[in-house]
Amino acid sequence: MRPIKRSHVLAGGAGLLAGAVVPRTFALAAEPIVLGWVGPLSPPGSYAAGQEMKWAAQLAIDEVNAKGGVLGRPLKVLYEDTKGTPDQGTAAMQLLATQKVAAVFGEFHSSVALAESQVAHKYGIPFLGTDVWTDKLTAQGFPEFFRVCPSNSLIYTMVGKWATAAGFKNAAIMQEATDYGQGAVQVLSDIFKQHDIKTNVITVELSQQEVTPEILRLMNTSPRPDIFMAIVSGASAYNIVREACNSNFAPTAQTALYNGGGPALEKELWENDGKCAVNLICENVALPKTKLNSIAKRFVATFQKQFKRPPTGTAMESYDCVGVLSAAIAQAKSTDHKAIISAMERLKYTGSRGTYAFSTSHEPAWAFHQFMTAPVMLIQYDKLNQSPDDAPILYPRDWATVDYLFAKPTA
Amino acid sequence: MFEYFLLQVLNGLVTGLIYALIAAGLTIIFSVLKIVNFGHGALYMLGGYAGYYAIQLLGVPPIPAVFVAMALTFVVGVIFERVMLTPLYSQKVDRKDEYAIIVTFALFMVLENAAIVAFGPFNKRPPSFAEGAVHIGLLTVTYDRLVAAGFAALLLIGLSLFMQRTSVGQALDAVSQSRDAAAIIGIDAKRMFAVAFGLGAALAGGAGALIAPIFSLSPTMGDLPSVQAYVIVVLGGMGSVPGSIIGGILLGIVEGLGVGFYPDANRALAYSNAFGALLLIITLLVRPTGLFGRAHLRME
Repeated sequence: MRPIKRSHVLAGGAGLLAGAVVPRTFALAAEPIVLGWVGPLSPPGSYAAGQEMKWAAQLAIDEVNAKGGVLGRPLKVLYEDTKGTPDQGTAAMQLLATQKVAAVFGEFHSSVALAESQVAHKYGIPFLGTDVWTDKLTAQGFPEFFRVCPSNSLIYTMVGKWATAAGFKNAAIMQEATDYGQGAVQVLSDIFKQHDIKTNVITVELSQQEVTPEILRLMNTSPRPDIFMAIVSGASAYNIVREACNSNFAPTAQTALYNGGGPALEKELWENDGKCAVNLICENVALPKTKLNSIAKRFVATFQKQFKRPPTGTAMESYDCVGVLSAAIAQAKSTDHKAIISAMERLKYTGSRGTYAFSTSHEPAWAFHQFMTAPVMLIQYDKLNQSPDDAPILYPRDWATVDYLFAKPTA
Repeated sequence: MFEYFLLQVLNGLVTGLIYALIAAGLTIIFSVLKIVNFGHGALYMLGGYAGYYAIQLLGVPPIPAVFVAMALTFVVGVIFERVMLTPLYSQKVDRKDEYAIIVTFALFMVLENAAIVAFGPFNKRPPSFAEGAVHIGLLTVTYDRLVAAGFAALLLIGLSLFMQRTSVGQALDAVSQSRDAAAIIGIDAKRMFAVAFGLGAALAGGAGALIAPIFSLSPTMGDLPSVQAYVIVVLGGMGSVPGSIIGGILLGIVEGLGVGFYPDANRALAYSNAFGALLLIITLLVRPTGLFGRAHLRME
């Protein structure tokens, strides 16, 4: 028998040590699963929203990788800036297609996602839309496209029901000239027409800064609108809210003020609009504070700590996209595109915004691959510097935290 | 109806004075250096942020913060002119017009993208110059707009006096008319180029700081005003400071009246820039050199 040498003991110890950390080391050493991300990170797109989505996505990726990745492999994301333009979105998706990504997620602008979905469809790449609301996206019936956010029909049917229940008779709607804005207003207009609510639609470019002449025009129409709805997802919504308020148009006792599209949920609302945002009504694509699960609470705390700002519903959607795709890949046990799509159709995944499942019904057309129970609610700020989580919930009524449908300003 | 017309005219006047301030800076640069500064909108944005941070970090009151913004953008303008535009004055560059377009456009790209990184992607707004609004009949004008318009008017008057009554202003005018003739009488044209670019940048920066409480700050806030400034410069007559002042006010009023009275109310706001373009087309058809334009100017 050969004597045991010191070097053998060391080698054996090293082997044991290596064996003890095999799963984690393997995961880190294995070839990563590559996901693609698309969204606006520079002008003319809504780069603020894109940045928030990217932060949330990376936070989720880091968490998944810290737990050993998916199928024993780490996740890696290739971030592509689409600048909020369809041509850049198409180019980004083409580039990602050459990078052999397992799936793509992201996007904030509906019109860009429409262009990207064409490319994803061409190459058969699963594409999970983060915050793109136009009905057209899922109505295309592409097997590759799924959506975690609510569609325009889901949101604005609810808004229409609320406005009808609240008794509004004369609506002025300022719509951004995009697929999102026009689609949203189409849904609203149809409902308002059914209920004899007079509707005056004004189209505005996202880059528009000066809106006072239009506000003056609306103030001088007879009868004066009893609700002014700015369906504007860009930061220009802050100007519109401020000008409407400074002109004594809305929110006032005669005219309620609504903003659709998301900017009213950012903390910058208060820096930009101050007391003008008190009594502002808006939709929030998150769950009520009382219904947040442990995943949501942990995400909110981590996001707040890391980025020094509370996450919006859009950030939660982005965070959940990574969870949905990770779960789908794990369920498919493969990064094959068709296997992932099939897994997503059967998926039940609990994220920060509830349990995700994607409809396979084509009735109505936009329901296909839509997360049909995506949370959405209407809130109305009643205090300065209020967080959306703390604002009174007006609608749906089973989530409402107040007994009124909307509060009129007293002064 | 007349009261409503007056409302739109008054509102357009307030907006137009701010337009005029942006355009006046662009005009000075064009008239002296004979280049179109495509980075003007970015300097306007930089001025807005400079004012904001002067208030937030240094505790400067809002109105003095406008002067801080103007001083900073003046320095940035002079540095840019010294570093990037001096090849224009030598024989090193063959295609001077193209060179000027590329470097000023690069200024725009660099500043705008750097602003996203440095200032963040989220909109900011400095405190108001004065809280509240004045009510004149149906018209409500915020003090912010009144202060911005009044300040812009004072700056424009000051600029006119500076150009007419000071030796530097007259030297700038001389260089704008003929560099060779100016050199003969002892004016250092290169120094005037730096002064002109710095002055133009300062006016843009001042406009940015004045507009910040009204429209908020974002890295892309200069995109649209710079386009409007080009319209005003051509409308008023390229190289004419009084022309850019009149042109700016006219544009503000025409846009306001266009939105207020265009028959299709649903599209009126979306067409607001088109009303300005229409005004420009009509003016150029009647007066091809613009309202107060001199003969065609080119890089010497």
